[in-house]
Amino acid sequence: MKKQRVVIGIMGLDQHEVGALGIVRTLRDAGMEVVYAGKFNTPETMVSTALQEAVDLVGLSCHSWEYTYYVPELLDLLKQYNLPIPVVVGGSVITPEDEKKMEEMGVAAAFGPSTQVPEMVERIQAIIQESAHG
Amino acid sequence: MKESASRSGIPLKPFYGPEDIPGAQAGQLTPPGEFPFIRGRHNRPGMGWIQRELSGEGDPTRSNEQFKYLISKGQAGLDVIGDSPTMACLDPDHPLAANTIGTQGVSLCCLQDYRELFQDIPLDSISISSSVPPVFALTGLYWVAKETGVDLDRVRGSVLQPPFYAEDCGYAFHIPFEVRSRMACDTIAFCAGEMPRFHSFVEDTYFFSEAGLTAVEEMALGFVEIRYLVRKLLDQGVDIDSFAPRIAILLNCSMDLFEEVAKIRATRQIFAEMMGDEFGAKDPRSMGVVITSHTSGLSLTAQQPVNNIVRGTVQAMALAMAGVQAMEISAFDEGFRTPSPESHLVGLRTQQVLALESNVGQVQDPLGGSWYVESLTAEMKARIWEFIRELEAKGDPGELVSNGWFKQFFNQTMQRYNRGVETGEITKVGVNTLTLPEEEDTLLKSVAEEKILPCRERIEKIKAMKAARNADRIQEVLTDIYRAVGDPGTNLIQPLLAATQAGATIGEMAGVMREASGAPYDPHGLIPPILTHKP
Repeated sequence: MKKQRVVIGIMGLDQHEVGALGIVRTLRDAGMEVVYAGKFNTPETMVSTALQEAVDLVGLSCHSWEYTYYVPELLDLLKQYNLPIPVVVGGSVITPEDEKKMEEMGVAAAFGPSTQVPEMVERIQAIIQESAHG
Repeated sequence: MKESASRSGIPLKPFYGPEDIPGAQAGQLTPPGEFPFIRGRHNRPGMGWIQRELSGEGDPTRSNEQFKYLISKGQAGLDVIGDSPTMACLDPDHPLAANTIGTQGVSLCCLQDYRELFQDIPLDSISISSSVPPVFALTGLYWVAKETGVDLDRVRGSVLQPPFYAEDCGYAFHIPFEVRSRMACDTIAFCAGEMPRFHSFVEDTYFFSEAGLTAVEEMALGFVEIRYLVRKLLDQGVDIDSFAPRIAILLNCSMDLFEEVAKIRATRQIFAEMMGDEFGAKDPRSMGVVITSHTSGLSLTAQQPVNNIVRGTVQAMALAMAGVQAMEISAFDEGFRTPSPESHLVGLRTQQVLALESNVGQVQDPLGGSWYVESLTAEMKARIWEFIRELEAKGDPGELVSNGWFKQFFNQTMQRYNRGVETGEITKVGVNTLTLPEEEDTLLKSVAEEKILPCRERIEKIKAMKAARNADRIQEVLTDIYRAVGDPGTNLIQPLLAATQAGATIGEMAGVMREASGAPYDPHGLIPPILTHKP
């Protein structure tokens, strides 16, 4: 079976990298291929990396509120390019209310700080599988 | 049961006795205020420490109101942090700034901003500790002091000098290392002459140790940076006793209470011996280092934020017992946001309760002579030195910055930390043990989860300010900076002061410095360079 392939990035001027590097390693340990897009991304750079790297899922590590502005732009851009790639967000600043808002907006999953790691990995794997069959 | 060890991995015995204090250590336990300063920088019982909380939010005027609020609640110093664009040396009108102007600190880009920031703040009695890119914090403060008639030799406060690790640990501003370290040395040399009370050389080990470093790694990396800059200044002919008394270390205080106390005692000793024996300082003030501290943000949790108040208290207690000169308790809502007024007050009141009710500061070095703490102090000292030597044996430490060795190191420590929390090796109440279901975890959550909107009105304001300047004059002062960067013999501070006074912005000055050192004007490739002709 083809390995699941994801890109993890941080948006805007958010420079908190601990969480992003953590999830990169976790997903690799779970057998996935992970492209790390690093810091200072815009919706445009994330979409172009997602395209170039032919990923199954885009993951954003969020430790500043900037993501609340970038996520809708990113979703719009994916729609514009007709790219049905699921987007997930995770990070300490994501409150339960934000989780709801994000999911309403079209994010496949939003993981706040209380999400346990195994649960997050399972959800991500399931989302990719669903989107491949859907 | 897992083997008992300190946070840095020092094996711990079930209890300690007199045989655990190395003989050499016992001989060095001089009174506080005396070489090698293990027991304290001063001998001034009951003097306490400068209480402050990290502040800065929105535009400079809003931050000024925040400062006045904190001062009215008993704060004697200010600790100012810039927002993400400011920390990255970008102006509010940079395309990447819009979503984060003023949300994680104060937006500061030009002299007018500093005037508004420090409006009615007495710069000779309130000490301003700036966590803003140092040269720009200095030039802003310099002009406001001059304009408001405060003598430069009475200006208090400090700037951080992070040329080694800023780029790799959350504060990248994309100026090459050589120029970053020159900016640090030039600031220190300038202040040694012009602003003698100002701490122009704060070694900040706080922010990079938040990448999951142990206490030993934190101090070793800090000393490697101090030693590099001191050697560079000595090479330039700057007298050690002209700047060493104004060196301070801003360190982290994490949850291992006794190890943190031992770390601070060992740090004072290492500094004293290094300055005296290795760098030839004569003035005793050059050997007794000022210690200031932030309690660890990394130790705080987004879950059950009220527990963070307890963490802050334990850490502040360690700092009080270690005899620090100033402290800041990371706010209980740190996991989510820039401190709320509520969390600011809790942090400040925690310090005040400790200082005024617990009697903890009445006797200096209260843990001195404890078999455990003395043994741990000697062990910390040995291990910190061992790691300093190991790092310096790899060659020029500046090379290790430029070739990405430290970046790799931090990536590994971050991953080690993450793994530690995931596996439960690092115990975190509310995260990997003793968790609460989300619906029960409500106490203080509404305060912690409130958001600050980006201060987008700054974009038009700064654009208008830029358009109203004398464009030729701006080209002229920025060209002078470009030239100065290219000429290693000049001190960069004078041209930066002139440009600041003329109304140049942090984004423009940093951009020109990037260009002059061979890097792109805008590291993100989104705006064109400002200089029309390069000299």
